[in-house]
Amino acid sequence: MHEIVKSWLLRFLRVPPQPQPPEGTPESIQIFRAGRNYYKWILAQFLLGRAALGFVLALMFVLPLFSKKEPSPAAAAVYASAVAFSVFAFAAIVTAGYFRLRLDYEMRWYIVTDRSLRTRCGIWSVRELTMTFANIQEIRVNVGPLQRVFGLGDVVVTSAGGGGSEQLGTANIARFAGVDNANEIRDLMTERLRRYKDTGLGDPDAPVPAPAGPEDAARFMLAEARALRLKIAASSPTD
Amino acid sequence: MEPIPVRIASIVRPSEKLWSYYIWTSILSGPAFPVTILLLYFKYYTMHYRFDAEGIRMGWGILFRQETVVNYARIQDIHLQSNIIERWLGLARIIIQTAGGGTMGNLTLEGIVDCEGMRDFLYSRMRGAKDPHRAAPPESDLAATLRDVAAELRAIRETLERRGNA
Repeated sequence: MHEIVKSWLLRFLRVPPQPQPPEGTPESIQIFRAGRNYYKWILAQFLLGRAALGFVLALMFVLPLFSKKEPSPAAAAVYASAVAFSVFAFAAIVTAGYFRLRLDYEMRWYIVTDRSLRTRCGIWSVRELTMTFANIQEIRVNVGPLQRVFGLGDVVVTSAGGGGSEQLGTANIARFAGVDNANEIRDLMTERLRRYKDTGLGDPDAPVPAPAGPEDAARFMLAEARALRLKIAASSPTD
Repeated sequence: MEPIPVRIASIVRPSEKLWSYYIWTSILSGPAFPVTILLLYFKYYTMHYRFDAEGIRMGWGILFRQETVVNYARIQDIHLQSNIIERWLGLARIIIQTAGGGTMGNLTLEGIVDCEGMRDFLYSRMRGAKDPHRAAPPESDLAATLRDVAAELRAIRETLERRGNA
C-alpha cells in the first residue's frame, strides 16, 4: 500500500530520482541517509501535534452535547454536518501529513566526495545544494537533548555564501539532518578539508604544475653537451 | 582558460517555458494577477544571459535595469530548486551564492531547460571542483626526445670518465 502511494505521489509530483554525486574520485563517494530513528523522531512530533489538534476538535464538538437547551432541527443538522466535515478533514490532514513526512524522510540524500558535498531533500519543493570543500568555512555538529535520546545529530556545514532569502532560507548552510553517525561524517569532512590551505573566499585554485616543456629539456641537454665537451677537453692531450 | 561548451555559450535567453511558468505564477497570485503578469512579462522579455570563459552575465528590466556579473571562481555554492509547477514544465531554478552579504550574494538563473547540465558546468568551474592533487600533464614528445638525447650525452661522458680513471 505504502509503496503504491509513494510511487504514485513521486510520479505526480515529478520528484527527480536519487541525485548524481558531484565530480570526485569514484572510490571517495559516500552517500549518507537520515537515520531510522530520525523517522521515529519526526513521526513522534507529528503524532503529538495531530493528537493535540484532535483533542481540541473533540472538545469543540463534545461541549455542545452538555447544553441543557434543546437544539432546533436546523442547528442539529449544522452540527452533524460540521462534525462529519471535521472528521473527514482531520483524517485527510493526518493521512496527507503522514505520507509527506514519510517521503520527506525517504527522499533525503547527503553525498560526500573527496572534493565536495551535495545534499538533496524535499518532495513538494525539491532543494539540492552543492558545495566544494575549498569553500567550506565551518563544520558543526548539533545534538539536542531529545535527539541524543534517539541517537541522532545534525551536521551543519557553512560556506561564505550570502546570508539567505525567502527562497533559500539560510542559504549558505548544508544540513545533514537526522544522521545517526554525525561525528563520523564530521571527521570525514574535516579530514578532507585539511587538503585546503586557503581562505575559501574565492582565492584562485592552486596552479597545476606546468608540464616540463621542450625549452627545459633543451637547456638540460645543453648542460650535458657542455659537460661532455669539457670532459673531452680535459682528457685530450693539450697542444 | 578552458573554452566553454557550445551548449552553454549558446544560451542567451531563457526558455519559452519560463513564460508559461510566469503565467501560472501570476494566476496563483490571485487579485494581484494584472500587476504580476505585467511585471513578469517585462522580466521575461528582457532577461538575457551571457556565459563566457570567466563568468556569467545576467540582466533584465526596462525602467529599472539589473545587470549581474559573477565570476565562476567566486561561486560559493550552487542550489538547484524546483516547485511542482516548475517540475511539471521541466524547469528548475539554479541559485548561485557568492560571498556577498545578505540576499545580494544570490544570482538566480531561470528558464534553463537542461538545469542539471548547467549545474554540472558551473560546478566544474567552481573552486575546488578539480582534484587539488592532480599530477602535471605529461611532457611533449619533443621534450621527451631531448631528455633522451641528454641521457645519451651523459652516458658518453660517464664512459669517458671511467676510461680516464682506468
